[in-house]
Amino acid sequence: MAENASDLVVETYKLTKIYQNRQIALNDVSLRIEPGSVLGLLGPNGAGKTTFVRLILGLHRPTAGWVKVFGKTMTPNAADLRRRIGYIPTNPQFPRGMSPITYLDYMARLFGLPADVRKPRLASLIRAVDLLAVSGDPVAGFSNGMTARLAVATSLINEPELLVWDEPTHGLDPEARRSMLELIKTLSREKTLIVSSHNLSDIDEVCNHAAVLSRGQMIFSGSLQDLKGRMRRNHYELDLEGDQKAIAKATQVIKGFSEFKGAALRQRRLELRMNDEAVNTSALANVFMTLADNKVTLVSIRSVGQQTEQAFLDLVEKEESRGFARACQNAEAA
Amino acid sequence: MDTTALIAKPKINRWLPYWAVLQSDLRQTIHGWVYRVWVLATLLAAIGFLLYRVGVDREAGIMQSASTFISDLLRWSVVGSIAPIIVLAGGCISSERGIMADSVLSRGISRYQYFLGKWHARLVTVVGTYLVFGLIAITGSFFFLHEDIKILGSLIALVTVIVLLAGVTTCGVTASAMCNSTVMGVAILWMVLYGVGFGLSLLPVRYPTPDYVLTNLPNILRGLYNFAQLGRLILWTVAGSILVALVGMCYFSRRDV
Repeated sequence: MAENASDLVVETYKLTKIYQNRQIALNDVSLRIEPGSVLGLLGPNGAGKTTFVRLILGLHRPTAGWVKVFGKTMTPNAADLRRRIGYIPTNPQFPRGMSPITYLDYMARLFGLPADVRKPRLASLIRAVDLLAVSGDPVAGFSNGMTARLAVATSLINEPELLVWDEPTHGLDPEARRSMLELIKTLSREKTLIVSSHNLSDIDEVCNHAAVLSRGQMIFSGSLQDLKGRMRRNHYELDLEGDQKAIAKATQVIKGFSEFKGAALRQRRLELRMNDEAVNTSALANVFMTLADNKVTLVSIRSVGQQTEQAFLDLVEKEESRGFARACQNAEAA
Repeated sequence: MDTTALIAKPKINRWLPYWAVLQSDLRQTIHGWVYRVWVLATLLAAIGFLLYRVGVDREAGIMQSASTFISDLLRWSVVGSIAPIIVLAGGCISSERGIMADSVLSRGISRYQYFLGKWHARLVTVVGTYLVFGLIAITGSFFFLHEDIKILGSLIALVTVIVLLAGVTTCGVTASAMCNSTVMGVAILWMVLYGVGFGLSLLPVRYPTPDYVLTNLPNILRGLYNFAQLGRLILWTVAGSILVALVGMCYFSRRDV
């Protein structure tokens, strides 16, 4: 853990952004990102993810609060801080007349890299992202996958310590998406990453920290395990094997258990819904005992709903239902 | 042992981002249709103007002095060039807003460098193009027309006109940095230029206004000029341009993109 604030890669304090006094895009967001973290930035459309990313990069100025990157305040003129950041925007676009070579060269010059550094580096990156065959072709004709790979190369041209990737898997086919996730895993060994995504399974796979934004407010920030810990563990599906009558009999017994508010049998799949206050381990132990007594074999058991997604939806749902209570709490805290 | 500490960081050239934007914008402007239309139209208009004057000479026997011919050519090409120059300068930053923010300003470049790169690129384009045209016209007239023009007078006339165009270009780039859309930038620039032009036309004759200088071009080409007065106009225009650019740069460095 970072011992003092200057060790943090990103720190925001009461970060607020109001566009032209019309739209509150971000409200009172305080966050600390430590070196080596892979932070997944989650939130529904319009939650303020891109605004948050743009504030970190100094593309927007905060209406209130501040952003510090590598211990220094980020401003539109903080070029020295941006030299340490690699950024991929949502739906990256490139000047149509440029080729990967000319574009990467231009980007490297924007980072102030001299020719003897940037030329070998761009050649290595073009090779690494598998664009060697089209390195002289105009980017206008590139597919989504090729565009994404060029964006990755661009974000790595300055060998950054912090990578900020805004929806990097957006619009990619499954193969390209898989490659992107593997790349994030590889890069996370030596860099700090902020990955904004709608795709919760992506975040679940590659991130170790999560921050959830809803309507411009940060409603959760912590480890991914903490986020999953908030998930309602009360919905399970069991695939069973054995005599149909025995399965039906076992189901009837299970329906009588007080821990369950519902048990439905469809063919050989048993769907169980637990009460909120029930302890899932003891309830499931009773279920297994009942199945064993009726000589029913358990083929598989799973928690219904993608874990992170469920936790995320729960958080957003709770946040939206709190209404004025939240405002009162904030006022009291202040 | 921490091996990363031993890896030498590459030496950063702090002005390379500025040069990159300048070169990229120069290339982009020269390949743009607005610039090409401007150059082509100016060339065709100059050739047409020359043919007309030759025709008048041959058919009616009216000889025209080089100073009158060149001053007309310079004046009308300035008037005709204002519109494309406004479009060229007025959209240079605002037209790239989305791509600019994502591709360029998120890298290791400051807003100041970006503004300076764009401003200087447009200045070089406009000033360079007009300088080439003007020098060709003056050199040609020196050899092929009646020689009533002086070299120093010609150069001073050309410099004065170029400084005025540089002022217009600077105002355009500043408007572009302050507005969200190209149309808005161009519209505001037109209004400001007309307003300033109207305001200057109300000044007493002793003040050298741009309009006065353009009207007086034949005399300047003949070497009949008040150097101090012209020098003052040039200095005021340069100072005004720098001030306008500073305002645009400071505003751009504080706004969202």
